[in-house]
Amino acid sequence: MSSRMPPQLISDLAIERVLPVDADFGCEIESDIRDEDGVVVYVNISSHKLKLLFEMVPGMKTNNFVGEIFRAEVLRKRRRPPPEFQWLHKYASGAGSTHNSGSSCPGMDNAVGDSMERGVDGLTIQDESIADTLLGSPEISVPRQSIAKGATPIAAREIVIKYQMAMREQHYTYTQALRVYVGTWNVNGQPPTVGISEWLAQDPDPPDIYAIGFQELDLSKEAFLFNDTPREEEWQEAVLNGLHKKARYHKVALVRLVGMMLLVFVQEQHAAYVRAVATETVGTGIMGKMGNKGGVGVRFELHSTSLCFVNSHLAAHVEEYERRNQDYHDICSRMSFTRFLPPKGINDHDQVYWLGDLNYRITDLDPRLVKDYIDQGNYLPLLEYDQLCQQHSLKNVYAGYQEGNITFRPTYKYDPGSDNWDSSEKNRVPAWCDRVLWKGDGITQVAYRSHPKLRISDHKPVSSLFDSQIRVIDAAKYRKIHEEVMKKLDKLENEFLPQVMVDNTEVIFDTIRYLESQTRDLIIANTGQVPVTFEFIKKLDDSSYCKDWLNIEPYSGFIMPGEKCDIKLEVYVDKKSAFKLNSGEDKLYDILVLHLDGGKDIFITVTGTYERSCFGSSIEALVYISVPVREIPLGRLMELENAKEVTSTQDPYPIPKEIWFLVDHLYRHGLKQPHLFEEPGLNSDLLQIRNWLDNGSPDPMPGSIHSVAEALLLLLESTAEPIIPYNLHSVCLDAANNYVQCKQIVMQLPEHRKNVFLYLCAFLQEVLCHASYNGLDTKIIAALFGTIFLRDPPRSRGDLSSQARMNQQALDRKKVNFVYHFLVNDQSDFILGR
Amino acid sequence: MSAGPYNYSYIFKYIIIGDMGVGKSCLLHQFTEKKFMADCPHTIGVEFGTRIIEVSGQKIKLQIWDTAGQERFRAVTRSYYRGAAGALMVYDITRRSTYNHLSSWLTDTRNLTNPSTVIFLIGNKCDLDAQRDVTYEEAKQFADENGLMFVEASAKTGENVEEAFLETAKKIYQSIQDGRLDLNAAESGVQHKPSQPGRNTLVNDQQVNKDTCAC
Ligand SMILES: Nc1nc2c(ncn2[C@@H]2O[C@H](COP(=O)(O)OP(=O)(O)OP(=O)(O)O)[C@@H](O)[C@H]2O)c(=O)[nH]1
Ligand SMILES: [Mg+2]
Repeated sequence: MSSRMPPQLISDLAIERVLPVDADFGCEIESDIRDEDGVVVYVNISSHKLKLLFEMVPGMKTNNFVGEIFRAEVLRKRRRPPPEFQWLHKYASGAGSTHNSGSSCPGMDNAVGDSMERGVDGLTIQDESIADTLLGSPEISVPRQSIAKGATPIAAREIVIKYQMAMREQHYTYTQALRVYVGTWNVNGQPPTVGISEWLAQDPDPPDIYAIGFQELDLSKEAFLFNDTPREEEWQEAVLNGLHKKARYHKVALVRLVGMMLLVFVQEQHAAYVRAVATETVGTGIMGKMGNKGGVGVRFELHSTSLCFVNSHLAAHVEEYERRNQDYHDICSRMSFTRFLPPKGINDHDQVYWLGDLNYRITDLDPRLVKDYIDQGNYLPLLEYDQLCQQHSLKNVYAGYQEGNITFRPTYKYDPGSDNWDSSEKNRVPAWCDRVLWKGDGITQVAYRSHPKLRISDHKPVSSLFDSQIRVIDAAKYRKIHEEVMKKLDKLENEFLPQVMVDNTEVIFDTIRYLESQTRDLIIANTGQVPVTFEFIKKLDDSSYCKDWLNIEPYSGFIMPGEKCDIKLEVYVDKKSAFKLNSGEDKLYDILVLHLDGGKDIFITVTGTYERSCFGSSIEALVYISVPVREIPLGRLMELENAKEVTSTQDPYPIPKEIWFLVDHLYRHGLKQPHLFEEPGLNSDLLQIRNWLDNGSPDPMPGSIHSVAEALLLLLESTAEPIIPYNLHSVCLDAANNYVQCKQIVMQLPEHRKNVFLYLCAFLQEVLCHASYNGLDTKIIAALFGTIFLRDPPRSRGDLSSQARMNQQALDRKKVNFVYHFLVNDQSDFILGR
Repeated sequence: MSAGPYNYSYIFKYIIIGDMGVGKSCLLHQFTEKKFMADCPHTIGVEFGTRIIEVSGQKIKLQIWDTAGQERFRAVTRSYYRGAAGALMVYDITRRSTYNHLSSWLTDTRNLTNPSTVIFLIGNKCDLDAQRDVTYEEAKQFADENGLMFVEASAKTGENVEEAFLETAKKIYQSIQDGRLDLNAAESGVQHKPSQPGRNTLVNDQQVNKDTCAC
């Protein structure tokens, strides 16, 4: 809930709920493509019975949010024992209290306390320190769609892989205890005039990791102002000489800010497993910036464990403990390893070791008493007055860190060159300024001590040894598990390909007849997990996705998961396709390719039997058929259709008997019919006429005059070629204004077409003689039959540009002219000429 | 969290062809899911599978088209050859007829793909050695004569399945390296993806940081 929308300051926000990332926590991410405004990411968070849905815009912020949740999940795996989330009770009422309950006991894992402390700017689920602490949920579903798409704004495959790998970490890692040496020494600006193996190498076994911190490396003005000092080289040299001789070391990093220097080494055998090294410095000196105080840090990953070492020099002076606390917090909040995205802070590490001259003193005790206790070796009463112990147990500083028992003399302040306490006027009270603390799992301190024999400084060096559990990647297991993860994702990727079920991939139609449509339904069900866009697509070399006698409705579409789409397949053989089926050029057979966008193709076979008809048969074939078309064998019809020269025992008819039947009927019953050829027939009549012609019948021809007239036109239009063959089409049009030329062309027509042409013209002249009854106009009849006799060659009508339309009008006029000649001139000489 | 959306550098298109029932779908399934499908229905169409593999440290996404083997679909499946970088041509070692048809499959492949398409011959069902109808030697000779890579494999046991797919990819990758395969050619069957200078995978991290920790 926020007091200002959109919120601009932290104070605009209030805590509404605090959810533990425990075993009951769930987080699912779905990204969905939205129409216009692109992609939205939905984050479904569930915790116990609560369910929250966040709609988020993809981008860095969302990335971080989701990333942190993922990280919390991962970290849960590592935390043992699982936290109890007691601190959550405070939020049960929904109040946004950020007060420290102070109830957690010192020494226990304090990361929770740490986040409390930062409560003002934290306590959203994004807060890293909380995420670090909380338990994760066992399952996060991967963004499935995104994987199928191969790319997504968030949680891309790589992230998912990383996450999945992290979840399986314990299966490919084992822990190995490494010896970590942490040393700190305020050298008071002195050069290394003595060997320091006394400090660094006094143990029998060589440590695996060294982290060696110095403070007051150089107290000169140059060092302070220009951060440049010869001491860096000198002390590094001294360190290299002082490292344990039983092992060879590899420098991981050196980082220095003025007098604070931190050197980290690993044994050479580990060097290959060091990754992601980064260093950072934070100055908290004058103006909160200068580097005379502050901290320097080195972080890296060794095998699979992230480590951070911080060397700090906090504010001086006995009474300044709060300033020191503040320095600590400044270092925590400002030390950010920015080469990572998001940047990593000190707390974002599995293990943190904090060393340095922390400068906390012993207060409120008489200096003499202090020295007495020290001489007795009785440190406990003193530690009660140690500011760091006090502040630490109050959780004002180093919350979440641990420190071992101090069993060594205070390391400050000595007269240089001696083991004597400061003898200057100030007569400072001895103090444990130099300390080592740590935070993280699997760390056992095995030594914490000072090295009093090194006397060049007013401080004694301190060191601590740890046995730290480092998670080591078993390369073979890692590869195996990585492969498994990849396989799982591949599998998911395959599973989230679009999937559909089609109820029938072999669609069979009953007998199909000319002009009689038949439909079949097809159900496409989306059985997959993602929305499916489907489309019937063209096969190679095909011009359309289906044959021209088939219609698919809809031929493309979109189906949501779990939903269905009904597809209607309609077969309808008309004048465009009939002749191909009659001649066998085409069959009622098609394989449709149903394509799923981004997925597979399904073949759907469509079959049916076509019942041959005189419609679609050529004039040349029909004249040889003396019986109804249905009575001759199918093979014979194809033979006739395809033969160049027909061989037949019987003489052909001059014109097809079907044309004769139709014309004769019109001649006898329809000459006086008003609007003959101008009114459409009835479809049912047409089918009956078709049957009458194809099957033969003793009954009179069925249907109205208009239906018979239309049947005649259809018969002429359904042939493969028009009466005037395509190859003479343009010749005719060119000659259209010249009757003599037109007549010559007609004389050259194939015999049966010429017969049909002249027969029809004679009939039309007769019709026009009855114009007073039927009201027909010669020009109109010429126009009608012009388009039939001079049918345009295929595809020439496709172009609908205005230029093409104008051309078409001119051509149509020529067709009218061509036919007109034959309707107004006496044709008897023609017919006799035969 | 800053990983790029692409974590593979190339996409290779494969087709799997061969007579019906030789085990094409099972081979694909075995490759993508590591499982055998004992009663796999005939493929009525073209199935699609993907898997990301690694060749010479490069991640490659294989896009595999498994075609219907039934003769009646032959004309339609020809549409799918175009743009394949790899063709897995499969026969069934227990059915001689499937072997005899190889030359016709090969003709189609050569005619419909480009010269750099890698053709890999797979004699499938080698687990059924007792019912063997085509000897290894005979098929090997056919493969050699036609310049094809060849293994006998079993979609059932998984034997050589991985190898066939990976060897094909290696060969394609080599062709890219040698410059024999022109990535810009529209029908090379290979797409190059911009790869992020990743530092997010564990493996990459190691490489990147070697230089930062040099002594
Ligand atoms: N024993 C044995 N059987 C196999 C093997 N591969 C496939 N089969 C079986 O062979 C039959 C056909 O396999 P499919 O993968 O469907 O064959 P296909 O080549 O895809 O067939 P189409 O899709 O019709 O082209 C199935 O019953 C499989 O179980 C194998 O390696 N060994
Ligand atoms: Mg199949």
